[in-house]
Order: sequence, then C-alpha cells, then structure tokens
Amino acid sequence: MKILLMGNPNVGKSAVFNRLTGAKVIESNYPGTTVDYTKGYMRLEGKEIEIIDVPGTFSLEPKDKAEEVAVKILRENKDSVVICVVDSTKLERGLYLAIEIIEEGYPVVIALNMWDIAKDKNIWIDIEKLQNILGVPVVPTIAISGEGIKELISRIKEASPVDIKKILKRAGGKR
Amino acid sequence: MRKRLSEMDYGEEGVVKEIDKNLRSRLAGMGIRVGVKVKMATKQPIKGPVVVTIDRYSISLGLGIADKIIVEVEG
Repeated sequence: MKILLMGNPNVGKSAVFNRLTGAKVIESNYPGTTVDYTKGYMRLEGKEIEIIDVPGTFSLEPKDKAEEVAVKILRENKDSVVICVVDSTKLERGLYLAIEIIEEGYPVVIALNMWDIAKDKNIWIDIEKLQNILGVPVVPTIAISGEGIKELISRIKEASPVDIKKILKRAGGKR
Repeated sequence: MRKRLSEMDYGEEGVVKEIDKNLRSRLAGMGIRVGVKVKMATKQPIKGPVVVTIDRYSISLGLGIADKIIVEVEG
C-alpha cells in the first residue's frame, strides 16, 4: 500500500506531506518529464509506508505536464489510499477532483486544509454532513501548525472505495 | 444582457450561462460552471488574462478562454 497526496495546486499538499513524513524526505524525478514529485515515508500502525506528494491538478483530464504526471502516478498506483487535500476556502473545485478520484475507485480521505483561514473568512463547512454524503473520512487540518494531522493519520484506515451512484443519491442530485 | 466573459467591465457581476463544450470539464475543475456567479476583478492590458472572483476566491483565465464563456450580466 502507498499513500498519494493529491489536490489542486496551492492547497498545502507539501505542507501536509512534511507533517506526515517529518524529516525523511527524498526528492525524485518522474521519468520522461521535467516535473518533480516528492516521495517520503511515514509510520502507520508500526509499518513504514511510502507516501508520494503528487503535483497539483484541477482534474483527471490533464491539460499540462504537471497534471499529466499527477494522473500517471494515480493510474500506476492502483493499490493506494489517496489523501485529497482541499483548500477549505475553495471547497467546490477541491471536491470536484476528490469526486473524480473516488469515481475511479480509490479509497479517499479528505483533508480540509487551511481550516483557520476559512474560519477567518466566515466560511463554515458542515463536516458531518459532507462525510455522510461522500461516505469518506473528512478531517479539518491546519498543516502549517500541525493541527488535525494526528486525526488525519488515524483515519486513513477508515478509507474504502465508495460507489459514486450512492454519493449522487445521498446528495439528492440527478444525472 | 448577455456578453462574453472577456467583455465584462471591471467590477461587473454576472451569471455563467454557456461554456464552450470543449472547455466545460476543464473549467469545472476550477469551479467555473453554468449557473455560477462571477465578478470581474482585474483585466490585464494588451490581450492579457482576466481575473474573476467566484465564491470569495479568484481565478485568472486567458483571454482566449474568457472569450468562450457567455455570461448574463445584471442591468
């Protein structure tokens, strides 16, 4: 099992990555492109687990090199759990990507990062409701201070694939 | 009144009505879809990009893309 950290550009993925891995960071180059991704290790229930800081992307339909790399990493690591990092102040577009990843069958945990900034902007997100609709763990985090990271780690084990049709039904949406 | 997003004036607000179908999924990932409210925040000179505000955050778009988004503006 691997853990992939994914999300839109500039949502704090690398800050979360540094929190999860501590100092054990390795830089590496993805073959065939000029875009770098970062790989590290974290301890989860006594085991060393590889974690990849995937380049930021808005969707799984790539429109530039960095996004191509992101999609390639996702597709080549089918046995991964994806931590989808979402900027709490830009919820909709973050959820768009998260739902695309869920739709592909990956177990997902959502980190609602920059929770403090959302609060400052008077943005309130109903975590319970979001969790119930999506059927995946949703954890508020403030990666730069480390708040919520422990909970994020502890809830990785709750992640499991969710049928997108069930999400649609719970959200009351139509297709 | 309907106009292209690229034709909106500074400070003008409107609702997205149509998006070129080749751009739809790409823009959806950035939070731009039919029905969303946009406000023109900045227009860069010499065919530069535009910046619009949606839902309290900003997005910059190339003029070529902004040309292919139709918006219903107030007034």
